[in-house]
Amino acid sequence: MNRTSLTTAVLCSALLLVPSLSKAQLPRDPAERARVVAQIMEANARQLTLFDRQGRQVSTVGTRDLYNQPVFSPDGTRMAVVKPDLEKETNDLWVIDNASGKSIQLTVSKTRENAGSPAWSPDGKQIAYVALRDGYFGLHRKASNAQGDEELLYKGSAPMTLTDWSQDGKYLTYFSTDLSGGRLYALPLAGTGERKPIEVFSSKSQNQGPRLSPDSRIMTYTSNVSGRFEVYAIPFDPAAAPGAAPAAGPWQLSDQGGTGMVFWRKDGKELYFLAADRAVMTVEVTGGATPQFAKPKLLFRPPADIAPGLGPGNASVTRDGERFVIAVPRPQLRQLTVYDRSGKVVSKVGEPGFYNQPNMSPDGTRAVLMRNDPRTGNVDIWTMDLASGKGTAITNDTDPQNAPIWSPDGKQVAYVSTHESISSIYRKAADGTGEAEQLFSYTPGAGMVLTDWSSDNKFMTFYTGVIVLVPIGNNQKASERKEIDWLREEYLAGQGRFSPDNRYIAFLSNEDDVDRGEVYVRPFDPNKPDAPLAGPAVRVSKDGAQGMITWRQDGKELYYMTRNWEVMAVDIETTPTFKAGTPRMLFSLPGPLPGNALQWKNVSPDGQRFLFAMPTNASTQR
Amino acid sequence: MSLRSHVGVGAAVALLLAGSAAWAHHNMSALFDFNDRVTLNGALSKIDWRNPHIYLAVDVKSGSEQGQTWSVEGPAPNFFRTRDITKADFEGALGKEVVVEVSRARDHSRSGLIRMLTLPGGKVVSACPQNC
Repeated sequence: MNRTSLTTAVLCSALLLVPSLSKAQLPRDPAERARVVAQIMEANARQLTLFDRQGRQVSTVGTRDLYNQPVFSPDGTRMAVVKPDLEKETNDLWVIDNASGKSIQLTVSKTRENAGSPAWSPDGKQIAYVALRDGYFGLHRKASNAQGDEELLYKGSAPMTLTDWSQDGKYLTYFSTDLSGGRLYALPLAGTGERKPIEVFSSKSQNQGPRLSPDSRIMTYTSNVSGRFEVYAIPFDPAAAPGAAPAAGPWQLSDQGGTGMVFWRKDGKELYFLAADRAVMTVEVTGGATPQFAKPKLLFRPPADIAPGLGPGNASVTRDGERFVIAVPRPQLRQLTVYDRSGKVVSKVGEPGFYNQPNMSPDGTRAVLMRNDPRTGNVDIWTMDLASGKGTAITNDTDPQNAPIWSPDGKQVAYVSTHESISSIYRKAADGTGEAEQLFSYTPGAGMVLTDWSSDNKFMTFYTGVIVLVPIGNNQKASERKEIDWLREEYLAGQGRFSPDNRYIAFLSNEDDVDRGEVYVRPFDPNKPDAPLAGPAVRVSKDGAQGMITWRQDGKELYYMTRNWEVMAVDIETTPTFKAGTPRMLFSLPGPLPGNALQWKNVSPDGQRFLFAMPTNASTQR
Repeated sequence: MSLRSHVGVGAAVALLLAGSAAWAHHNMSALFDFNDRVTLNGALSKIDWRNPHIYLAVDVKSGSEQGQTWSVEGPAPNFFRTRDITKADFEGALGKEVVVEVSRARDHSRSGLIRMLTLPGGKVVSACPQNC
């Protein structure tokens, strides 16, 4: 998709999509480029904020910027952070003085290279990090005052993440994960010549974030071996045979989920972690060779309205356990809001919540949406009555769900759920009753953004850069259903939307301009879904679009959203041939809006009401 | 958060995701071993220049894979368009010698994920950071 759409609909997304800014490609037109950069900043900049052990805000550091992975220096006076350079498409490390907010750039990556995962040496004089250099990932170190060259400590090939420099100065601990599992390593720093990492622990689970206790006898880490991430500890024996099982443990430290940010206090008597609900927890540690871990206690809860935007990569702790830094995102709460065609607010639905991707039911009375539960961190699918604000859970599990849509009759909803790297389309009754039916299962590791369900119940669409049809009008099992690449070309295409009579599909693509998405329409024959496409597509939009393609129920009007967050309407004729009128703006919204407009279907059947999840600063109870 | 999965503007974003990459067809680490690199010298014999990934066929001319045809996968056409590398650059290389460094497929078939490619004129095309 064009860069604008990718940026506004994807990079600014808080819940649905996952491209990396380090991989971002900005539009080449200077004005367009500046506009996109401004939107990225607005949506994603974070404020480095210090908290004490009671969760009271102590101070802020510097100004809002695209900060990530803040890590305190051992004396707590500075922070290493990662910051992208959008123009160069890089990530680099910076060191910030906590008192003055002044910063120096530590690493200087070439275009489309990266540095990240900072870890301070025990004396604070050096910082180790992972960097992508000339096609190879490596562990490097450099003086923390940015003087001198970076030193390559270990050269690898696969991506890795550094998490700590042991407090005795002897090891760097890092991990590497992929769909085959997660591996925890310690790299000995002593000696000369080629360094050989010690594989401390590996399994088919996602094992992450290894950190050694101050005496380097215990390694803590997080793992999803139980189905959700928890914090574990194992003895660390650098002399153990490669691949040997730990001599004891693993001991589970957390009991209500542990997402990471596991730091040891410098005396080894306390450690900290971020719980599933983003609460900062503490665990008392006693004993020597055989440590005893007390039950986790709540230290404090970060501000409720930022919880879903807070992860282990956005927070850390000083070595004395007295200060916590959180890279605070913009408020994550959204108010479901209904607008009329003039842009006037008709109603606000229920209380603010952590909502995303609200799509309107065919009768315009309900929404189906993604809801993040701040108590568990789980993202589930819900339906919601737009008049009463009453919600109904469709899913309630730890598997991530996304991209909900309605069935044509409004009795069911469909969504994508990902379990152990396999994404599948499910459908379930819209009142939450009964079992979910698996309709289609995709290639392992491949994602889907589900976009439509045809009115004749024969097809669904999703996109991957290609518009894909899933035939559902048969009794096949999910494993037997074969997808059809309906539009697979050199240009990107997404958000295939069936016309109400199923004779056309509207979609977004950058066929005409690589830097700009537009809305197009092509004929569709449900009886020959895999037939080669005939003739050129008809362009409907005029000056760029980013999604929200929705047909009015009578097929005579089509809606979409521009790159400037303008809601547009276009008159449509389909008989005898397809004809589109001149797009006209109905109203505009203050962007950037959260979520992915390439999945929105949020217009009432008569084209009179428009539903959005609008950012709000309102507080909420936890 | 690895550099590969790092969302530059917010690691938390990635944690909340539903497993769907924006335009990615599949998670590359599912199919390819990033620790197993292979360099192929051979003639470019076929191009499939479409989304979500391009595919090239390379008839290997030297080394242990001499005489074999490898299918190598690259980023989406958009990746190249925004780097001012066009389909025509690859079409012009058909039948000519290229050097391709790939991550080998986990199933050990003759297929790989392009990390670096050198066109006949010496132009080097890096597929990083997407494919690294």
